[in-house]
Amino acid sequence: MKHFSKLVRPYLVWMVLIVVLPLLLIVLYSLTTGGNELVNISFTLDNFKKIGEPVYFDVLKKSFTLGIASVLICLVCGYTLAYIISRQNEGIQDLLILFVTIPMWINTLLRTYAWISILSDNGLVNKLLVLLGFAPANLMYTDIAVLLGLVSDMLPFMVIPIHTSIRKIDPSLIEASHDLGADNIQTFIKVIFKMSIPGVINGVMMTFLLSISTFVIPKLLGGGQYMLIGNLIETQFISVGNWNFGSATSIILTLIIIIGMSLMRKFDREKED
Amino acid sequence: MKNKKLAIPSAIYVALCFIFLYLPIVVTMVFSFNSSKSLTSMTGFSMQWYARLIEDGSIMKAVYVSVSIAMFATIISTALGTITAIGLSKCKKVLKDVIINLNDIPIMNPDIVTAIGLMILFSSITLEKGYLTMLLSHIAFCTPYVLTSVYPKVRNLDPNIAEAALDLGATPFEALTKVIIPMLKDGIFAGMLLAFTMSFDDFVISYFVTGNGVQNISIIVYNMTKRTNPTINALSTIVILIIAITLIVINVMPERFKNFMKYFAAGLFAAGLIVTVFTGFAGTQRTLRVYNAGEYADPSVLESFEREYGARLIYETFDSNESMYTKVKSGAQYDIIIPSDYMIERLINEDMLKPIDWSKLTNADGLDPAIMGFDFDADNTYSVPYFVGTVGILYDKTVIDEEDLSEGWELLRNEKYKGNIYMYDSERDSFMVALKALGYSMNTDNKDEIDEAYRWLIEQRDRMDVVYAGDDVIDNMISGNKALAVVYSGDAAYIISENENMGYLEPSQGTNEWCDSMVITKDCEDEELAHEYIDYMLSYDAAYANSAYVGYSSPITEVSNELSEEDYEGIDAYVPDFGYELNESFRYQETSIKQYFADLWTKVKAY
Repeated sequence: MKHFSKLVRPYLVWMVLIVVLPLLLIVLYSLTTGGNELVNISFTLDNFKKIGEPVYFDVLKKSFTLGIASVLICLVCGYTLAYIISRQNEGIQDLLILFVTIPMWINTLLRTYAWISILSDNGLVNKLLVLLGFAPANLMYTDIAVLLGLVSDMLPFMVIPIHTSIRKIDPSLIEASHDLGADNIQTFIKVIFKMSIPGVINGVMMTFLLSISTFVIPKLLGGGQYMLIGNLIETQFISVGNWNFGSATSIILTLIIIIGMSLMRKFDREKED
Repeated sequence: MKNKKLAIPSAIYVALCFIFLYLPIVVTMVFSFNSSKSLTSMTGFSMQWYARLIEDGSIMKAVYVSVSIAMFATIISTALGTITAIGLSKCKKVLKDVIINLNDIPIMNPDIVTAIGLMILFSSITLEKGYLTMLLSHIAFCTPYVLTSVYPKVRNLDPNIAEAALDLGATPFEALTKVIIPMLKDGIFAGMLLAFTMSFDDFVISYFVTGNGVQNISIIVYNMTKRTNPTINALSTIVILIIAITLIVINVMPERFKNFMKYFAAGLFAAGLIVTVFTGFAGTQRTLRVYNAGEYADPSVLESFEREYGARLIYETFDSNESMYTKVKSGAQYDIIIPSDYMIERLINEDMLKPIDWSKLTNADGLDPAIMGFDFDADNTYSVPYFVGTVGILYDKTVIDEEDLSEGWELLRNEKYKGNIYMYDSERDSFMVALKALGYSMNTDNKDEIDEAYRWLIEQRDRMDVVYAGDDVIDNMISGNKALAVVYSGDAAYIISENENMGYLEPSQGTNEWCDSMVITKDCEDEELAHEYIDYMLSYDAAYANSAYVGYSSPITEVSNELSEEDYEGIDAYVPDFGYELNESFRYQETSIKQYFADLWTKVKAY
């Protein structure tokens, strides 16, 4: 069986070339000044110091608040949905999961444009409000719009892994729990939820990553005044052209995410041991 | 054990979730039948966008690129990811940890960082950007998802099963294909699905690593933001229908047909592969690589150019001057680019352009002398005007008092119109407004003046509840959402043609006179053809078609006269006033000043 371990070699080489090497280039950029040409570079930590400035710090803070809020909404809605789905017949389960997957195949940009049509000042929601005799609400360019866009984009990424892990649970465990006198709620908390934690962690990781690094959704639904860390990086690389600061910001983001993820993974492992 | 019936509250909940997930899709489908360009109000039923979709070769090509890349990337990354996951469970702990952590990098890194990293990598090993680089990148970000879906399944496998297979005389290869992989089926399938989805939907990474006219659907959509139209809704309606029909057929079909379908899919796939290989050898036609802003030319003009000159156009689009520059700097090669004024100055300064041979341009006489010789290229050595215009205030005549118009840019700070105003989400244009309102040059590098403009913007933002909107302004103003908006003259002309309550004001404090022009790059190999292209764009027919299609003012006098009497009759925004004494065009900014503006702009926006 040991010789199976050789199977990882191609991927290891591949990753060094196409994952590690580009990342090293970015680290190099973040530690230097001298713009986009690597001709006359000089090393500096200024790019990192700049992130400490209040404006950029606020951007970081806002990104995290919004990221966590959208992940929580996804988790609550997504878990409920995944749980309900898992209680159905096999055939119906497959069908429902399929329907959860389909929206992921439709271009995110397009779905976000559609949210503009729904939320804008004379969009669908406001037309409905007026029809029902309410005053129209200002929905576009608010936190609500961005949250709606994010959640509808990310919900499938939460539902699918959770559903997979709930489905894996051996039904006899649940029966055993009932036989041992646990009621539905106890069974849910102590058996089902506990055993679905790997799926929850997978889902939380995916959605958190998506929400924290996104720039298209806040740009379209939050308006130009909506600056998240993804937007900051994008602006630095594309419109400002300060690749050095952009690289430093992305390194910080990557570091924070890696720390967060390793904590979660550790939690995951302890659970299983 | 399981509830066979859906309880009513659960059913309602599921229904609500699906409404939430499908609402945007339904809206997309409904607007694909809209009779007007608007994406917020249905004006009637029409199939015109479907017709346009079929005519538009670039969209059909993008569909092909998206689908084929997604298929190849899925197959390769599934194989790579599965094999690695199996190997991983047998690895030493150290190596395992290293691989798992490395594997997380592409998943965790923000797309834009991965994209930039790959772009730098491909440029530094001088790999020509296009289909191959896009495919490699997609494999790079898809494989980690496959590995993370398959690996937990491998961990749950009973190691004795493989041992048993080996003990019973199976070769390791047989143990792998006959015992292990079938047991991982669910994980592999989940990984495949995820890989396909990720690849099919990707925008950011594809955008940076592609080149030579290879564009996927997302790139086309993003570059359309300037002028969103329901063509793309028509496309996604078709995609949704294809997916739905395929799924229904698979679920309903009897077992024996499934095998047939497998061969059919395999055959289709092989055909796709062959086509991909052969499109690489397109023959020895003269080719011209053109890089233009999205939705900035009538597709029929490009086709007739190809026909008349027997040439092949590799036509790519960008969404902003800055991303164009980033791309060109990272090694993408084009013969003709159509950037704006200040960007042309930058390209000239960096010695990236070839001079224009005006003697080869037979249609140059038609150019309006008033729009020649802008400061960025005083004697038009390098640039030939393509579209021109100004920036001004679009106002709702039914809301704004006539007498307030004399305030010019200060109208944007008039508290009567609080909460009723769109600023344009562009650093340079917003600072232009503030600097002009204060009576300074919009190209100033005096930090005191810039700071004053910054305070002007902050005060305006706090006092007026400003919304900084992008190109959705066009649609919003057609619907009359707000009373004031800062817009480009060409957009204003289009808005006014759709909503006659609107008027266009060019403040007398001066404004931005912009000029997007055609330039020839140093990379250009066929200068003859490049000049023929430019000349063709200056011809009456081509310029007329482009201007009618895009709505921006043509630099060809005859065309702009004609159009202002026909389609844009009575709309002064179509032919903006050039040559106001205080008008300027944008100049190239030094990096340090640009950085200064960018920091202040971030502060204006991030609150």
